[in-house]
Amino acid sequence: MAPQPPLLTMSGITKSFPGVRALDGVDLEVQAGEVHCLLGQNGAGKSTLIKVLAGAHQPDSGEITWRSEPVTLGSPIAAMRLGIATIYQELDLIEGLSVAENVFLGHEPTSAGFVVRGSASRTATAELLERLGHSEIEPSRLVGELSAAQQQIVSMARALSHEVRLIVMDEPSAALDPEEVDNLFRIVGDLTADGVAVIYISHRLEEIRRIGDRVTVLKEGRSVAGGLPAKSTPTHEVVALMTGRNVEYVFPERPEAGFAAQREPVLKVERLSRRGEFAPIDLELRPGEIVGLAGLVGSGRSEILETIYGARKPDEGRVLVDGAPLRPGSVRAAVSAGIGLAPEERKAQGLLMLESVSSNVSISTLSRFARAGWLDRRTERAATHKAVRELSLRPDNPDAAIRTLSGGNQQKAVLARWLLRGCKVLLLDEPTRGVDIGARAELYAVIRRLADEGLAVLLVSSEVPEVLGLADRVLVLREGSVVHTADARELDEHRVLDLVMEGSLTP
Amino acid sequence: MTQPATAAHKDAPTSAAKSAGEQGGSRRSGPRWDVRTLSLLGVLAVLVAVGGITAPDEFLATSNLQLVLTQASVIGVVTVGMTFVITSGGIDLSVGAIVALASVWATTVATQEFGFAGILFTAVIVGVGCGLVNGLLIAYGRMVPFIATLAMLASARGLALQITDGSTQIVSVESVLDLGARDSYILGIPPLVLIFAAVTVIGWLVLNRTTFGRRTVAVGGNAEAARLAGIDVRRQRLYLYLLSGLCCGIAAFMLIVLAGSGQNTNGNLYELDAIAAAIIGGTLLSGGRGTIIGSVLGVLVFTTITNIFALNNLETAVQQIAKGAIIVAAVLVQRRSLHGDT
Amino acid sequence: MPRTPATSRRALLFGTAAVSAGALLTACTSNEPKDQEQAADNAAPVADDKPGKAVTVGFAGPQADHGWLNAINSNAKSRAKKYSDVTLEITEGSNDTAQQIGQVQTLINKKVDVLVILPADGKALTQVGLQAMRAGIPVVNLDRVFASPQAYRCWIGGDNYGMGLNAGHYIGEQLKGKKNAKVVELAGLDNLELTQQRTKGFDDALKNYPNIRKVARQAADFTVESGQAKMAQLLQAQSGFDALWNHDDDQGVGALRAIDQAGRDDFLMVGGAGAKSAMDAIKAGNSVLKATVLYPPTMAASAIDLARALGQGKGVDGLAEFEIPSSLTLYSAVVTKDNVDQYLPTGFI
Repeated sequence: MAPQPPLLTMSGITKSFPGVRALDGVDLEVQAGEVHCLLGQNGAGKSTLIKVLAGAHQPDSGEITWRSEPVTLGSPIAAMRLGIATIYQELDLIEGLSVAENVFLGHEPTSAGFVVRGSASRTATAELLERLGHSEIEPSRLVGELSAAQQQIVSMARALSHEVRLIVMDEPSAALDPEEVDNLFRIVGDLTADGVAVIYISHRLEEIRRIGDRVTVLKEGRSVAGGLPAKSTPTHEVVALMTGRNVEYVFPERPEAGFAAQREPVLKVERLSRRGEFAPIDLELRPGEIVGLAGLVGSGRSEILETIYGARKPDEGRVLVDGAPLRPGSVRAAVSAGIGLAPEERKAQGLLMLESVSSNVSISTLSRFARAGWLDRRTERAATHKAVRELSLRPDNPDAAIRTLSGGNQQKAVLARWLLRGCKVLLLDEPTRGVDIGARAELYAVIRRLADEGLAVLLVSSEVPEVLGLADRVLVLREGSVVHTADARELDEHRVLDLVMEGSLTP
Repeated sequence: MTQPATAAHKDAPTSAAKSAGEQGGSRRSGPRWDVRTLSLLGVLAVLVAVGGITAPDEFLATSNLQLVLTQASVIGVVTVGMTFVITSGGIDLSVGAIVALASVWATTVATQEFGFAGILFTAVIVGVGCGLVNGLLIAYGRMVPFIATLAMLASARGLALQITDGSTQIVSVESVLDLGARDSYILGIPPLVLIFAAVTVIGWLVLNRTTFGRRTVAVGGNAEAARLAGIDVRRQRLYLYLLSGLCCGIAAFMLIVLAGSGQNTNGNLYELDAIAAAIIGGTLLSGGRGTIIGSVLGVLVFTTITNIFALNNLETAVQQIAKGAIIVAAVLVQRRSLHGDT
Repeated sequence: MPRTPATSRRALLFGTAAVSAGALLTACTSNEPKDQEQAADNAAPVADDKPGKAVTVGFAGPQADHGWLNAINSNAKSRAKKYSDVTLEITEGSNDTAQQIGQVQTLINKKVDVLVILPADGKALTQVGLQAMRAGIPVVNLDRVFASPQAYRCWIGGDNYGMGLNAGHYIGEQLKGKKNAKVVELAGLDNLELTQQRTKGFDDALKNYPNIRKVARQAADFTVESGQAKMAQLLQAQSGFDALWNHDDDQGVGALRAIDQAGRDDFLMVGGAGAKSAMDAIKAGNSVLKATVLYPPTMAASAIDLARALGQGKGVDGLAEFEIPSSLTLYSAVVTKDNVDQYLPTGFI
């Protein structure tokens, strides 16, 4: 890289919140036109750092230099004026406004200073969307009607509607399908070719290798390595820097293939379908086995799980547990028959965020701890404590507030709920979303152990290696239909990706 | 790990997490005296001091204490029911109208012929009946609580007017009137205050010690998560509006005892008073957290203010301004304490 | 025009039941003509009980959510029923200004002969009063006055200031000679102008009695519940006083309940409006309530009489005038044990 002065230098940045030192001396140097990747586990300080950069948080100490001038990023507007745009992980769009209104929110083209020129912003928005390769998005449509991927494009268009020199992208690929990711990378390439710098945050190492130039690794609020070459630094070195130990993407050992074939299926799904979501599907799940559903976002994976669980009512078909059919569309019927669900949106669908771990774990089993409606809180706490311990949930305290837990431990609390209930079938929808690498391995081990103890597990994940590594059998879905069923060991990632995209086996 | 983690949101065990666990273990029983409750107690203490200074002879008299508690009783019982509904993420705008309807239905000439029991029974049944309609509309008719209870407000008030034709129905059943008289005090405590205390204690136990209470909090905290955890959210909602209606029925009976009559204007703006008391008490308007103790303190704060203003012969307008200021102040304190938690 | 027989002219306009209206006549005319025959000879044609030209009277009032307003409706209805030549078109009462405007417009479109309007809000309904007058429909404005005299042909209503004045004078006379006498006021809804007028009249009357001092005033809101609550507070705040002026007999039910609960009987109480329950209590004489100052709902019956006379183009009996007066302010009589029997039939429930 040419020895020109960096676009952005941050040095010795610290930031504390009540009880937490989120940033404890971070150095970061970004050159114009590069893709600079930020790596770190959850809680390492990535989010706080980019909020400082966006002007949303004020650092306690440290210096920021922008194009060789010391600057203070006192507010989001100040950061935008300099040319720093941020695309947050949680999209900050207003669903009730149109695409164009969102893109130009706060800097609408106006006549006489206050009359919004709607047509001007729509035209400009259309140009931006075309530049992003998504001219099919109508500038006048409501953002609430768009898919998650499309909303991300709108977010990006908003960033580009300013004179931008640096774009920060926080896990932009999390909600995207592979082809969407390709498009994202094309856009990033275009931007850097124009001299714009990109700070790119992702958990996916393979993405960083594809588009990254340099990497800065954060751990516990400190930058432990800066400016590593993204393509050539070995994975184990990066993981070691992030975790402080050498953890690989470890999956627990599987029993030999076909071990469960002799057992009676505990869950049977017969010709289950929902119009517009998935075609009739047949499925058998035997005690002790983990079956994975692989497919793109929108292939009907979550819908299938939720229909089995009774949260959605099927158009036809039925679900049987131990040979007895369930009342369709009734969660309570499914739960009493012994089915449990760890939903995709853990915070929105799974947890009571204001409550304790114990309340979250016991919620499906309350009547067991009650006599005539009165709760025996001692028994309840003892039981939840036991379940929490079995899954080595941290902290080992059922009274801790669930919102203070990491994603992995929150997920364990959901699993503990079903462990306590004593269910036979566990439906897992994206169980490791938002869980960092170290905690994932632990979660995989827990899931396999539950299966070994006799549970039947149905797993949905958008990360193909996860499905292949954890499941015994895999069903590949494309546009609501099962296109292939195989033992997980007979498949590899390329084949699955090929299947979900083409729907035919190519040699 | 070489560095101890700074907070409990790490996957590995840490000293911070362990000590949090020990603290949590020690405070797990009994009511939680959080910042909100304490700040409200502080407000109440300040008010008592103000009352004691501005009207020393009248304010601290036993008879005045009895008066303040009696005046808090009727709206207090309504607020307990409202606290449940708000905790579940709902709202009941019809409480005042239900009190009015129950109080006039229970004081018609025909009802009064059945004496004490007839009046009590009618008031409670009318309250529960209105609650049942609210609950069915919201839980099974899938109406938004705001709209369903607004409709109930309008129609219950209308029906109350129709029953009375605008006239005041004087109660002539002696046993009912006697309940509000001075010589029926038990150990110096007016019977209405005892009813209020009983409803409060039962309300606290139900919210904090029963599956019903836990499910109420779950439905309010995250209805979707509660549904997916296997809770019958709709039935829970039905029961909650029934409960609020029941409280209104009891309150209507208490009002009949207090005012010696039934009138279609009874319970005027109770919905706002009850919501305000619950909110300043610390119950989250968005649901998921509710405190009976806070609500009762909220009611007492408002009643004490009214009392102090009346003892000092200040105008109604000033009372209303003070009430608004207290609501704002309490919510600000709550916000601060919530941020402190995080 | 048929000559009107003298005998029937006594019943005429204000009727036997409308005692308060009688009071108006005695108050306004110092020399009531003794010789009816003679008076009839040189007077304009006046309304009487005999059926005349058929008149359709439109009546629009507020929602009857208070005993007094309910009495207004029933007074109007029973009065109209009395006349075979009067058809009453009565609307569903409403407190919503827009709705009431709509109701009056409907009556205008129906081309009623005369309108009687008790507006929910006098100022807000002025325009629709003007519309009616322009359309040639005479308007009798009942009690709550329109903002413009052009909006009505005749206004008839009570005297809020007079209520306070008479209550003050009654209390003043009762406490005559008592040193350092204290009075307490339980007012009605404070944001209504009539409450301010009642208070002003009361205060003005008390100025005549230097031995009396008003020591406390709290506002209730015309409901039993608020009357009980506010009175309980007043009793707590004032350990000793000699008289209480309560603006409204409905809230007085609650006030009496509070007084009863506090076990107090060391003062006299004067009520307002003239509810039947209050009159019963005055007659029984076993409570602190010794008097009530009228705000007679019979004014609605009188308004029907006026409307009928307007529709038939006749004048008022007992006055020399050819035309019906443009304004009639009723007298707020003080009802005490001595005269309660006379007024009891007008008491509203």
